[in-house]
Amino acid sequence: METKQPNTSLYRTVWRWHFYAGIIFAPLLIILAVTGSIYLFKPQIEQFLYQDYQAVTPQGDRLPASQQIENVKELYPDAVVTKYHPGENASRSSEVSITSNKESLTIFMDPYTGKSIGELNDEDRIMDKIEEIHGELMAGTLGDRIVELAACWAVVLIVSGLYLWYPKKNQSLSGVLFPRLKKGKHIFRRDLHAVPAFWITAGMLFLIMTGLPWSGFWGNNFQLLATNSGSGYPPSIWTGSAPTSSIKTKDIADVPWAAENLDVPLSDIQGFIPLSIDDVVTIANREDMHPSYSINIPQETEGVYTLSAFPAKAQDEATIHIDQYSGAVLADYRYDHYGLIGKIVAWGITLHKGTQFGLINQIISLLICLGIMFVACSGFYLWWKRKPKKSLGAPKAPQIKNIKLFLFLLIGLGILFPLVGLSLIVVWLIDWLIIKKISAVKNFLNA
Amino acid sequence: MKKNICISFIFIFSILLSACSLEKDVTDLYKEETPLEAEIIIPASFSANTQETIKAVLTKGGKMVENADFVHFEIWKQDGSLKYSMEQAEEKGNGTYTLSKNFDSDGLYYIKVHASNDDSIIMPQKQFIVGKLSESELEFLQKGIQKKAESHEHHH
Repeated sequence: METKQPNTSLYRTVWRWHFYAGIIFAPLLIILAVTGSIYLFKPQIEQFLYQDYQAVTPQGDRLPASQQIENVKELYPDAVVTKYHPGENASRSSEVSITSNKESLTIFMDPYTGKSIGELNDEDRIMDKIEEIHGELMAGTLGDRIVELAACWAVVLIVSGLYLWYPKKNQSLSGVLFPRLKKGKHIFRRDLHAVPAFWITAGMLFLIMTGLPWSGFWGNNFQLLATNSGSGYPPSIWTGSAPTSSIKTKDIADVPWAAENLDVPLSDIQGFIPLSIDDVVTIANREDMHPSYSINIPQETEGVYTLSAFPAKAQDEATIHIDQYSGAVLADYRYDHYGLIGKIVAWGITLHKGTQFGLINQIISLLICLGIMFVACSGFYLWWKRKPKKSLGAPKAPQIKNIKLFLFLLIGLGILFPLVGLSLIVVWLIDWLIIKKISAVKNFLNA
Repeated sequence: MKKNICISFIFIFSILLSACSLEKDVTDLYKEETPLEAEIIIPASFSANTQETIKAVLTKGGKMVENADFVHFEIWKQDGSLKYSMEQAEEKGNGTYTLSKNFDSDGLYYIKVHASNDDSIIMPQKQFIVGKLSESELEFLQKGIQKKAESHEHHH
């Protein structure tokens, strides 16, 4: 090493952890940054891709929702209608979501003519694929956990990286805030990683912390704790189920099965029947739902109609549950009814998705993503150039027991992010059972 | 020391994993609604040439609703041959509101009760039968179930 580095065991330990975590998680962080950059522009991309489905020419009155759904049922006789989304303005088509032959389709309807404009299989929505890679690497729960682990370890990378970057005594701002261009290749390579990394630290940490609440393990538990404490999202928005109708099952009208005779007593045919979706649209307008709302249609006798709107801005969010027999509003949760943590998470989500402040939000987030890609690549490049031929080139491992501060920091992170803790245990076990016992591996990893 | 760390980690995980389920009365911590509820009472039998009384009993938060903002009844026949448009129901006290009508023709009927009190508006509707069902009404009822039966198959 030509650069003068402090040779304390703490510095070397931090360096070693930063090194391994970087090598393992840099590829994942690059995937997240690339897919994230694309997903940021979902509104514009979908607007472009589906403009033919979404645009309609206003003419006369709109047909009621029930009529549009009836038309969809005629076109898809064996489909189950799950959701109805009225167009948010006069020149937008309405969307009817159905499941047919185990496929989820969206049927775009012209509300003025009642004709279908086109169908879109949810499988074919390119932005949904991008989201699936971003959220779970297209690998279900396992993928979700891996993404979460990468996000948590990115926090470890940030903390350890900041420690390594932290200016030494008498160091000028070059090499800290600006890269040193004229001090040779080695220093320039180091600065190419460390200096931009510092600049994007805050943004990266922000994206990680706002992304974590939607993760499957940490996020779910975090949301549960927040909701339970009364300061999160009200139940049913993120966790928990919707309220149920107060009408008893026995008071709901049954229908006779056999064609020739009544095989259920007359009294069972008498009873409450579900509201028409047109009544639900009326209620939505009366309750002043944001125009981007959708109606979830209950599939079970005890289910409720759920109106939900999650538009660009967090403060416009709304979720209303409606008794499917009486039309009573069973719960009405707006942004104002979220607890403090719920409000923060809601803002975090819209900022993370780049919708809260529109284009400027998208551009700033894009710059952070590009920065993450650059820093991950330059870190990799830095290692590749420094790497000795026959070993991995990791900094030498000191005895971890001697570095109490670092140990406590790791344990702290392990408790805050249990997946990090779990992976730490795995690392320790591998280290203990394999690496320390096999000298070839030990030498290669410089352990 | 390593063993201790492992054990304490496993201990913390088990706490974290087990602690997390939603509490039953968590809705109490957030904005709550007290929706209006209606019981609609249809006469057990109908006889020709007499007025029959339909009752709606309104409750809100378990209490009988007196002086509701409005209670309107709307009654019609499935085949479209009869339609009593919205009419105000008469308050009989103790949360009970009634309307009397003639039901001389047999068939499948519907009633919709529009009621409101203290910001809660409801519009429950009930299906009932007077006398015997015609064939077309029976067919109508069965069509409904056929659709439902098909949809359930796919739902699972």
